Amino acid sequence: MSTLRNVELPVVGELVDAAPATERSESPLAQALRRLRKSKTALCGGVIAMALVVVAIFADVLAPHSPTASDQNHTFETPSRAYPLGTDQLGRDMLSRLIHGSRISLAVGVASVLLALFVGVPLGLVAGFYGGRLDAGIMRLMDLILAFPIYLLAIILMVIFTPTAGLIGTIKVVGAIAIVRIPIYARLVRGSVLSIKEKEYIEACRALGVRDRSILFNHVLPNSLAPIIVTTTLGIATSIIVEATLAFLGLGTQPPTPSWGWDLKANVAFIHQNPWLALFPGLAIFVTVLGFNLFGDGLRDALDPRMK
Amino acid sequence: MRIYILRRLVAVVPTILMITLVVFVMMRSIPGDPVVALLGDAFTEEDAAKVRQEYGLDKPILAQYGLWLAKLAQGDWGTSILSGRPVLKDVLVRLPVTLELIVLSMAVALAIAIPAAIIGALRQNTWADYSATTVAMIGVSIPEFFAGVLLLLMFSVALHGTLPSSGWVYLPGTCPMVVCTGSVWANMMHVLMPAIALGIGRAALLTRLLRASMLEVIRTEYITTARAKGLAEKPVVLKHALKNALIPTVTVMGLQVGFLIGGAIVVETLFAMPGLGTFGIDAIIARDYQQVQGFALITAFAFVIINLIVDLTYSLLDPRIRYA
Repeated sequence: MSTLRNVELPVVGELVDAAPATERSESPLAQALRRLRKSKTALCGGVIAMALVVVAIFADVLAPHSPTASDQNHTFETPSRAYPLGTDQLGRDMLSRLIHGSRISLAVGVASVLLALFVGVPLGLVAGFYGGRLDAGIMRLMDLILAFPIYLLAIILMVIFTPTAGLIGTIKVVGAIAIVRIPIYARLVRGSVLSIKEKEYIEACRALGVRDRSILFNHVLPNSLAPIIVTTTLGIATSIIVEATLAFLGLGTQPPTPSWGWDLKANVAFIHQNPWLALFPGLAIFVTVLGFNLFGDGLRDALDPRMK
Repeated sequence: MRIYILRRLVAVVPTILMITLVVFVMMRSIPGDPVVALLGDAFTEEDAAKVRQEYGLDKPILAQYGLWLAKLAQGDWGTSILSGRPVLKDVLVRLPVTLELIVLSMAVALAIAIPAAIIGALRQNTWADYSATTVAMIGVSIPEFFAGVLLLLMFSVALHGTLPSSGWVYLPGTCPMVVCTGSVWANMMHVLMPAIALGIGRAALLTRLLRASMLEVIRTEYITTARAKGLAEKPVVLKHALKNALIPTVTVMGLQVGFLIGGAIVVETLFAMPGLGTFGIDAIIARDYQQVQGFALITAFAFVIINLIVDLTYSLLDPRIRYA
């Protein structure tokens, strides 16, 4: 927490000027949190995201039926009290499939972004801080990844990894999406490092003889956190869309593991007879993405009102 | 200007070489090869070796890539291992379908985004602005395939097949078969839903961007000057504000091309369209090396050329930007 306190936020000056002189000045983090609490969009998105996390964690308790057990006597049931969202062609309960499918979407969305973050951020820090050949080498590699249309690369990576079911299958999807997203963080962080490293307080650190690693992680990184946090939240939404798209193309986590994208693909074939089957998985993807987008938007406004 | 375009076109070559090389190496690092799929289950190692030799698959990867380049220089894009058809021929048949889809989806995006952004920016913080931004937020959160499914539910299911749910009718003149009825009307009916499905997400994104940059431009002094000298609101907004606000939007539109190509794969799969997207995904999944190379080449080329066009558009929008 202490490292967060010296996060430099652009509005500090304006707010302090505007506040009455008697008021105690609050830390930039507290200001950001206050603005975040006031933002209706962030609140709305946060509630959706939190609800989904709860659903994913307690999926086993919440789901009324097994997501994979088929029942040949109850295929293509319309929504009823026993099956609130109906059943699919194998007689599997759609609601239970959606509840369990949230795990894959959220796990892939969050894990792929975190993985991209843990690789991309250090790469950007090092490239921006040291410059020269190291910078050129890292950034050319990043440019190469960025030169690909994102889906093309993710699709080829998934074919190389060979999609499978279960945890291993999910890890493969996480890996493919993370690789595609690493350059976004590397470029973002490199950009902020380039401007931060010229600041006087970094010069002061150098003059005091602080070691490079300490400067990087204790001073440069905390000051470039705001854009990283915003990009991460919005990145989860994008990753969930990419995961659903891969699954829709048959390249995501394979059945029997329940996945929204796969369910949508499988049920589009029955769209004329049983329209609700394709509607519900799509709605689930949409609501999840909307939640993270709203939260990310609110967070951006709270952390950096200039970006509004 | 002409020199600038030439210089940019030359700079395109290394990018395309890099992309095709990476795809080449990646495709060949997938375990197994297309020969097994071609020969079926009952094949002997001898047969497989013979076929591999025929397609040059027994050589080192870089030598294979060199061979592919050498043939490409002579206008030969190779022959599909699985279908036996020349890749260039297939690409040329499928290219117009995808081009039509992408161009129309961009048109849909602009047709929605420009008025929505203008209303949002001119009437900031009114109900009109709020509804424009809310709809845009919803739009960016809808993946293309779900937008497509919603359209299918509306036009094919609820309205009992007002629009066809799959397949394709070629535009007159682009038809690959000898006997073939091309029709503009039927083509439009087939392309409408895919174009809206692909365009709606871009529309939402462009609305958000354009509204933000319109808000910035509208507060500049030259807009005040334009109003002060008695110009009507319409030319002020359309000629002065919009033109300048479009510059950052055009940049993002260029960057969106990568997404559009990916989106085309999804939308073409959903609506069973015979475009480059389905060509590419089928080739990648079947590991048809030559077809994948053809797909990567045309995609990389489109990507780079569109970004060049975007850069050239700047000088149209803002004459101060000149390219020497």
